[in-house]
Amino acid sequence: MGQTAIGVLLVVICALLEGVGQVFLKKSVLRAVRWYLWISSGIVILLIETMIYSEALLFLDVGAAYTISSLNLISVTFMSRCLLRERVTRTRWIGVCLIFIGVSLVAARA
Amino acid sequence: MSIKKVFPTRLAVGLLLAIVIDTALQLVWKSAVLSLPNDGSRWLNLQAILHSPLLIFVIFLMACQFFNWLMVLGNADLSYAQPVTSLSYVTVFCLSVLYLKEGTDLIQIAGILLVLAGVWFISRTDHVTQSKEHEA
Repeated sequence: MGQTAIGVLLVVICALLEGVGQVFLKKSVLRAVRWYLWISSGIVILLIETMIYSEALLFLDVGAAYTISSLNLISVTFMSRCLLRERVTRTRWIGVCLIFIGVSLVAARA
Repeated sequence: MSIKKVFPTRLAVGLLLAIVIDTALQLVWKSAVLSLPNDGSRWLNLQAILHSPLLIFVIFLMACQFFNWLMVLGNADLSYAQPVTSLSYVTVFCLSVLYLKEGTDLIQIAGILLVLAGVWFISRTDHVTQSKEHEA
């Protein structure tokens, strides 16, 4: 596996962790009870993501690494709809998809 | 019946701050990682991290980002706030080209324009879901 492929794989893992961590943080501001459990879990997940992302930056340009991590938009939007019961309209999905495609174009040429 | 929700100033400031801090974080982080000795020893790298002013600044920026983000999440849906802060992709890209001398071409510029269009679509939606749905 090439260095670029390793970097891409690490950033994709970061994107998934970001999705889970963000949902936990949102839970912490929604809940008056046991909010500290949600926030501490979210922090732990985001810290793990930070360590992995630092490693990924050794293999990729910051522009490429940052843009590939746009995958978290898809996972966060999907989890927000399913786990947080947020109202995700068609317009919002169009926006998310445009951002994802745009970021993918940038990443593909990085 | 659809009720027009007021867009709070606190949320606007929080989103702007999130974009600014995120941009600074990405650029400083990259500079910090590049400044570490590349000798293959993780232990020596860890020691270098603990003594690197740039990485301490990264941690400071992360803390600011974290508390600001909690404030944003308290005022908006996660599925709204997260895509809007994608504007930092645009700022990081521009500053990477200008200051880190990373390459660019027309395809990348088209991608950046799509990101801008996507954020515009997101901004057309309500920033918060009815509270009764959240409390369920």
